[in-house]
Amino acid sequence: MVPVSPRQGVSALQGEALGAGLPPLLVEAERVAATVEQGVHGRRRVGAGDSFWQFRPYRPGDEIRDIDWRQSARSARVFVREREWEAAQTVFLWVDRSASMDYAGDRHLPTKGERAALLGLALASLLIRAGERVGLIDRDVIGHTGRAYLLTLAETLSRPSPPNASLPPAAELPRDGRAVIIGDLLRPEAELIRLVEGFAARGLRGHLLQVLDPSEIDFPFTGRNRFVGLEGEGHLLIGRAESLGDAYRERLAAHRDGLERLARRTGWTVIQHRTDHSPAPALLALFLALADLGQRSSGKR
Amino acid sequence: MFGLGAIGFSAPWVLLGLVALPAIWWLVRLVPPAPRQTRFPALQLLLDIAQRQETPERTPWWLILLRLVLAALIVVGLAGPVLDPVRAGDGSGPLLLVVDDGWAAAPRWSQRIETLESRIAAAESADRPIRLLLTAPDGDDLPVAPPLLDRAELRGAIASLQPKPWAADRRAAIADLDLLAPDAVAETIWLADGLEDGAAADFARRLTRFGPVTRLDMAPGNAPFALGTPAPGDQGIEIEVARPIGDGARRLTLLARDENGRVLGRRTVDVGAEEPGRSTEIELPTALRNKVTRVDIAEEETAAAVRLLDGRWRRRAVGIAFEGGDEAVRPLISEAFYLERALAPFADVRRGPLSDLLQAPLSVILLPDVGQVPAALRPRLEDFIDKGGILLRFAGPRFAVSADDLLPVKIRLGDRALGGALSWTEPAAIAPFPPDSPFAGLVPSPDVRIRRQVLAEPAFDLDEKTWARLTDGTPLITGAPRGAGLIVLVHTSANNDWSDLALSGLFVDMLRRTVDLSDGEAAAAEEERGLPPLANLDGFGHLGGVRPGAGPITAGALAETTPGPRAPPGFYGDSAARRALNLAPPLDTLAPLPDMPGVAIELPETAPARPLGPWLLVAALLLVAVDLLVALRLSGRLVPTALGGLLLALALLPPQEAKAIDAADAAGTIHLAYVVTGDDPTDRMSEAGLRGLSTAITQRTAVEPGSPVGLDLETDELAFYPLIYWPMTEAYAPGPVAMGRIDSYLKSGGVVLFDTRDVTRGAGAVPGFGGTAGEALLRRTLAQLDVPALVPLPADHVLTKSFYLLQSFPGRYEGGPLWVEADASPENDGVSGYVIGGNDWAAAWAVDQRGHPLAALEPGGPRQREMALRFGVNLVLYALTGNYKADQVHVPALLERLGQ
Repeated sequence: MVPVSPRQGVSALQGEALGAGLPPLLVEAERVAATVEQGVHGRRRVGAGDSFWQFRPYRPGDEIRDIDWRQSARSARVFVREREWEAAQTVFLWVDRSASMDYAGDRHLPTKGERAALLGLALASLLIRAGERVGLIDRDVIGHTGRAYLLTLAETLSRPSPPNASLPPAAELPRDGRAVIIGDLLRPEAELIRLVEGFAARGLRGHLLQVLDPSEIDFPFTGRNRFVGLEGEGHLLIGRAESLGDAYRERLAAHRDGLERLARRTGWTVIQHRTDHSPAPALLALFLALADLGQRSSGKR
Repeated sequence: MFGLGAIGFSAPWVLLGLVALPAIWWLVRLVPPAPRQTRFPALQLLLDIAQRQETPERTPWWLILLRLVLAALIVVGLAGPVLDPVRAGDGSGPLLLVVDDGWAAAPRWSQRIETLESRIAAAESADRPIRLLLTAPDGDDLPVAPPLLDRAELRGAIASLQPKPWAADRRAAIADLDLLAPDAVAETIWLADGLEDGAAADFARRLTRFGPVTRLDMAPGNAPFALGTPAPGDQGIEIEVARPIGDGARRLTLLARDENGRVLGRRTVDVGAEEPGRSTEIELPTALRNKVTRVDIAEEETAAAVRLLDGRWRRRAVGIAFEGGDEAVRPLISEAFYLERALAPFADVRRGPLSDLLQAPLSVILLPDVGQVPAALRPRLEDFIDKGGILLRFAGPRFAVSADDLLPVKIRLGDRALGGALSWTEPAAIAPFPPDSPFAGLVPSPDVRIRRQVLAEPAFDLDEKTWARLTDGTPLITGAPRGAGLIVLVHTSANNDWSDLALSGLFVDMLRRTVDLSDGEAAAAEEERGLPPLANLDGFGHLGGVRPGAGPITAGALAETTPGPRAPPGFYGDSAARRALNLAPPLDTLAPLPDMPGVAIELPETAPARPLGPWLLVAALLLVAVDLLVALRLSGRLVPTALGGLLLALALLPPQEAKAIDAADAAGTIHLAYVVTGDDPTDRMSEAGLRGLSTAITQRTAVEPGSPVGLDLETDELAFYPLIYWPMTEAYAPGPVAMGRIDSYLKSGGVVLFDTRDVTRGAGAVPGFGGTAGEALLRRTLAQLDVPALVPLPADHVLTKSFYLLQSFPGRYEGGPLWVEADASPENDGVSGYVIGGNDWAAAWAVDQRGHPLAALEPGGPRQREMALRFGVNLVLYALTGNYKADQVHVPALLERLGQ
């Protein structure tokens, strides 16, 4: 039996999930994915594939072997056969499950970890429906297809990660793959730069999804506080927390700017998400970013 | 005792703990309050900033101050601070305590003694010998030097000190002081009663010869009051209160009491701040006035604030001189008959020959139609008048021909007839009484006509002797003093031969006024008889046993006796004929103590030696609580929220009585409800009745009501209850708000059973138009409601078949009709909101906790109770299911259609 976290409300879907042996996280992810999918219309676009897409007049620069001679012979013009983009991408996911993700500033909100797992799983679900391959950065060398993998993924994500693994290891990934890193990304900038540039150096493109709790963004604390880190960073005693609010928010903005700069430099994208917002927009943005990336990369090709 | 100014400490060494305050300050400053523990994932970012912006960790200064104050409060509180201890006398040598223990010291006596005790304690701690002198005489006429007392004797003497019910005698005290050697006293403390007795200045001079004198006075506003001599007034008893000095506004309550101490009359007097006294009147009807034996001031507990009244205030003995004559033949028109009837309500009337009457002590002697007083009796009669008796004479045929000269005015022989066949004149009425007449205030009836009278000889003083006259100006009643007494003449007859006066109520009033002028039995008391003390007042004005030392007083000397140790105020004589001796200080001689050079005057401490320690410790506890809240707040564990504020407000508010149940319970379960009328038996019966009905309904039907609910129509929400039982009670009159609520409740589909509970008392008419008390109440109640047309319950009404088939609806009584709405509105499902009857159903339903019925039924029997319960079941189901059972009429048709 899958344990039901009290943070997640009991719904009819959850009931079904229990009956079917599905993790509720997966059900929720499927639900989110379904809402997002309605807004995405398949890959009706030109790309590397086997099935015919359209003829178009030849333009200088087109490869000679792409000319459909039979079609060209029917008229005075020369046509090029275009195929639909069909190349299956492999998306490698990283979902931060470290101790710092087990945090929610308000008991009505899900923890960052739950939200990250939900987004990861929903993304995986979307991708698998779209025929892409999905894998975990630290576990899979090649991507998996088929919905059965979702179950494995859900189970993996509901287990705690190895301690203090906020960021993925610099694993060797196939060059065509895409990396999606979901987490709070609150590690020092240098560490993040090292990671992303390491991936980019190997030609890997990817997306950073920063999931933050509202209290981490707004810093609503007042009075005398002893702030305790969740990953053994120690603690910090502050007499008047409110006096630190502005400085903290500046510092966080700087951190995010750093991320943005890093992404621009490496061709990655950064998406921000707060746990008090609906997961669907973030998921949609992430999914569209993945699609854009595919298009852009195929266009370049 | 170590002290600082007005504050002393019983354990001053504890104050050394204050030395620890700097250490506490240092500690508190060093150890700031525990912070709130906050988990925070983005700590790394914070650490980055905190390196740049290090705020030093400090306890806020006000918290340090709070804790220092707390510590100081505890230390000082434990040191036993005492507010305003008496400073030890700085003098040395023997101390003389002078205590005025006359009557004027009785108010706030215990406070005076407390003041004295603290002085004594101070003197004892300084190890000074003490002498005690009491200024009120104790019956021992020889001067005695104030003795030196050791501690035990002094304690005993002080503890047994009581104010005396007589005045202090400072002249005797001077004699006592003269026996002392000049060095026997070094300092004097004088607890004064504030009353001048003529020798106060001399006394003070004598005291100052020994050494310094300190006079302890009472604070302003404590001057003792004394009562004046009561006098009969128009409406009751006139009495005066007075005090030696106007030292503040006082409100006094004068009480007139009877023999058993019951209060007969009461009068509140406001004495102005500057006024030394005031005269007032305790209003009392004459019948009650005669019962008064004591007048006192409720606020003042002194012997002078009590006036004991003796026989002089009782009914007067009145003698009607009557020699016989034709009374035996015509008893109803004899003068004695009229007089006796008129006097009997307020006087003891004796009838007899004048010679007999003169033997007995009387207040008034009436001579109806006696022309010549027998010469043998005349000296005794004159003597009676001279000693204060009243002689009241009436004219008449015999008087008219031969009047003697024992009269207020000279009389012309012969009478004057007014009216009649041969006269131009009309019978005359009585003119309004002049204001200085004893009859002032009485209203002469215009119907009273005087047909015959005797006329007075004109004289220069006739006018002032005339108490009443006719409309033509001729005197009707004349009076003149003689000796201590009075002679009064009514110029017409005491029966109705000459006038209607004897037939009117005015006659009674005039006689009463006249008799009230008399001096009571005093005139006739035996002068030489020794009266033993019967009961004496103590110093606080309480009438108790005979005081030791009290001796007999002869009746004649009573008036001149000044109360003292030998003759304490109180009652003397025996219980049958007793005389009062009152302290009665002459009010105009009451005076405050004069200025005394060389005497220091001190007001007593208002609150001597009040320990402050407990209060400081309580304050420290409160501060601990505040500190706890502050610490919680600082550490973030206490967040001021609206809920917290609400809880605090609720904690501060007095808890409300929870009568109605909360909405969730009311809505979740069906509850029968009744109107709380405020009449306890009715409400209990309603509650028990609905409980019994609820039980029956639970047993018999699918409805399972909860416990009954009492509703306050003014405040409780009515919408939860399908049925409200409303017993009509006299005292319960809901306000317009409540009636508006019940009206909207009825219009929105509620059902109210109005129960007038009085069917046996002849009700049964149209509701609201009958004559019984319950009907009147119902009418009053329904008048405020929007009542639709009502009909007696039709035989086919749903109420007759909603559960049981019923045709009668008995409650405690049987046979009262039941009224419902003629055609109930369709939006309420055809349910009549008004169900009105008078059978007292609650009593029939009522059961105790064990299920036994509470009330007997009329005519009675288990069947009636059963039928009453069935009505209740029907009513509840009617309220719940509406017209559902009305469809039952179609059942036969439906069954037929189904082919059965």
